[in-house]
Amino acid sequence: MTILPDQTRPPAPSRPALKALNDARVRSAVIQALTLLAVFVGLWWIVSNTVANLAVRNMSAGFGFLDVSAGFGIGFTIIPYQEGDTYLRVFFVGIANTLLVAIVSIVLATVFGLIVGLARLSDNWIIGVVARSYIEIIRNTPLLLQIIAWYFGVFNLLPRPRDSIELGAGFVLNNRGFYLPAPVAEAGLGAFLLLCGAAVAGAVGLYLWSNRRLEKTGQSFPALRVGAALVIGVPALAYLALAPVSWDMPELQGFNFQGGTSVPPAFCALIVALSAYTSCFIAEIVRSGIQSVPKGQLEAAGALNLPPNWTLRRVVMPQAMRVIIPPLISQYLNVTKNSSLAIAIGFPDLVSVWMNTSLNQSGRAIPIVAMTMAFYCTVSLAVSAVMNVYNKRVQLQER
Amino acid sequence: MAPKVFVPSPDRPPPVDTSGPLVWIRRNLFRDVPNTLMTLLGAYIAVTFVTAVVDWALIDAVWQAESRRECLDLVGRSGACWPGVFVWFENLIYGLYPKDQVWRINTGFLLLVVWMVPLWMPRVVSKVAIGLSAVMLYPFLASYFFLGGEKGLVWTALIAAGLWGLIWVWATALTETLTGKSVGTWLIGRLGRSGADEATQMRIRRGAALALFVVSVLLVAPAEFVEVRTQFWGGLFLTLVISGIGITFSLPAGILLALGRRSKMPVVATLCTVFIELFRSVPLITILFMFNTMLPLFLPAGTEVNQLVRAIVAVCLFAAAYMAEIIRGGLQAIPSGQYEAATSLGLGYWQTTTQVVLPQALKIMIPAIVGNFIGLFKDTTLVSIIGLFDLMNMARAVGEDSNWLGLFIEPFFVVTLIYFVFCFAMSCYSMNLERKLSAGRERS
Repeated sequence: MTILPDQTRPPAPSRPALKALNDARVRSAVIQALTLLAVFVGLWWIVSNTVANLAVRNMSAGFGFLDVSAGFGIGFTIIPYQEGDTYLRVFFVGIANTLLVAIVSIVLATVFGLIVGLARLSDNWIIGVVARSYIEIIRNTPLLLQIIAWYFGVFNLLPRPRDSIELGAGFVLNNRGFYLPAPVAEAGLGAFLLLCGAAVAGAVGLYLWSNRRLEKTGQSFPALRVGAALVIGVPALAYLALAPVSWDMPELQGFNFQGGTSVPPAFCALIVALSAYTSCFIAEIVRSGIQSVPKGQLEAAGALNLPPNWTLRRVVMPQAMRVIIPPLISQYLNVTKNSSLAIAIGFPDLVSVWMNTSLNQSGRAIPIVAMTMAFYCTVSLAVSAVMNVYNKRVQLQER
Repeated sequence: MAPKVFVPSPDRPPPVDTSGPLVWIRRNLFRDVPNTLMTLLGAYIAVTFVTAVVDWALIDAVWQAESRRECLDLVGRSGACWPGVFVWFENLIYGLYPKDQVWRINTGFLLLVVWMVPLWMPRVVSKVAIGLSAVMLYPFLASYFFLGGEKGLVWTALIAAGLWGLIWVWATALTETLTGKSVGTWLIGRLGRSGADEATQMRIRRGAALALFVVSVLLVAPAEFVEVRTQFWGGLFLTLVISGIGITFSLPAGILLALGRRSKMPVVATLCTVFIELFRSVPLITILFMFNTMLPLFLPAGTEVNQLVRAIVAVCLFAAAYMAEIIRGGLQAIPSGQYEAATSLGLGYWQTTTQVVLPQALKIMIPAIVGNFIGLFKDTTLVSIIGLFDLMNMARAVGEDSNWLGLFIEPFFVVTLIYFVFCFAMSCYSMNLERKLSAGRERS
């Protein structure tokens, strides 16, 4: 084999300025400087346009309007609000409503998603098919469409208050909303809450103690069962003994229900649609998490003769949770963001009362948009910070 | 002593069935009491749901009526009232696009199908180039079909480029299928210049391309469509336009953002991270609102920005941020050995990225990417909140028509079906791809 000589090229004429660009560090510095320059020029252009436009339209970008009375009513609030309250108050009302929707939907979606996810894994064929159809139908249609369909198709068509659907125990459903009994504090409430807290603390302590004893001596203790008995039994007994709350029942008076507490139909539609939609994603997350545990782990547990519930609790779940938790949290964030679709059916969440009504009333586009985005960013960054810490703790240490 | 006689022991019972439909039923549906109860519960749910839908949508439904009042008088709420949907069906699909111009929409989408067909032809080699041309050149052609109106010099050239692309795609597909050669090589062969040196051949290729472009310009120049302004766009057509642009924009933009976020240059990395995190942490509706109210403020006084354009810009940026995180996931999954191997071969940054890393990263992320497309397609419904009449808003408008006042469930049912078909098709395609791609790695 002969080695062919390289075709020799004449050396490139050396130009010092271009030669410097061959150095990776210089090149990267130049690129970064140019990017920064471009971004600054772009921002400057936008800011100067905005200032000019604001001047033309006689608008101001300041936050001074926050102390001004907003002067419009809000249909549903969970923190006290009157028409004369300030814009700042409106902002907080919106945040409270958004968080309420998010929290209620998250709880419902998690419970339902867990059930559907397990049903999807069931070895009963027909249950698997029903669960799978449910997931595919809900997941492949837009959430906004579902919210609107629930609102116009179901909760708006419910009967008038006079022919309401009584669900028993004071729960009433009609086209004005969902009525439920409201708790009224009585004398024994403090002691009751104290006892409940003690029961929960006792159960947690018991669980930790039994884990430690198990690791040290190998003797097991039915901590879960005893703990459950504590957490359920103590409050139940205390409730009967102390009667800490009385219930204010909704009653039909004239054309509408009085007493109790109620949520508007838009809230019901939003909660049902959001939790149904999210539960499908959670179901798939649960399924993939459980399926991600290698079969060998189950076989190993079998070889050690672990009882089935131990296999589930000590072998499958800890490993599945590592896969489940991160996407689950991101679903929770999605619920919070998706609750902004409330605006389509007129439920007063943050986007609806703040970015829509307040913006139109006050015309302060820039501070209002900035505050809304700041709220969502804060929530999402806070959650991802917690998640990063969690991931660091749980991830397997690899190379 | 009696002689020993062989007495066969009695036959053992045949083995219990281990296969067949009956066994399957026993094992999967009626194994024990809880399992049987579950089966009954599942069957009950399925039967109730299916019969309720069938009763409502088919058996009790009204098929001919003049108004919703008539439907209600006939069957009340127990059956669907389809005539309202029939009357509105054309609007659900095409929006308020002039009826005599609707053929342009159909042709536009047909052109896309025609453009993409070679991608499924087995003997076609230049699939990447065809795919790229569909993304880069088809939009010019389609946008003129959809929008129409006056076309200046630049606009004419761009549309001609679109036509040029279409002709090139099919010329390539035909020559590659029939002769196994690319168009250029085939042409040179026909001209009998296969022996000519490289420079001459290149000149022939360029000349042919230019000639084709001139022909396309001549074809395009006289064609003139009536302008249909975007205010009249709506229905499924608008939904497809917005999601189509979002999808086409989000992939390249997402790749650039993801590369930027992983870049070693701190300024670039920070800027990309801030952009991605900002757009991912706020809901799409706030971004739509922001662009709707603030884009006019950001631009020099007097610039008019069409509302559709505002919505599309918002959707594109939002989709790009999500896509960037998916691509980044794919990039992180590539073992560092791949980078090291590429570096040791002397490949530079862009060569490593485009030839080694991206092909692998995109391949493993295909299911997630398609999932993101599905999400984007569903999210386009949000443009209805800022007042565009997309498919969903059109369905809502049916119930506000004075003839069909309050007719909400039926149009929503139809629209849900349309969305479902699109999304489910995409998700089946992605599952199919996933199965194909993991075929080599799976161990069962």
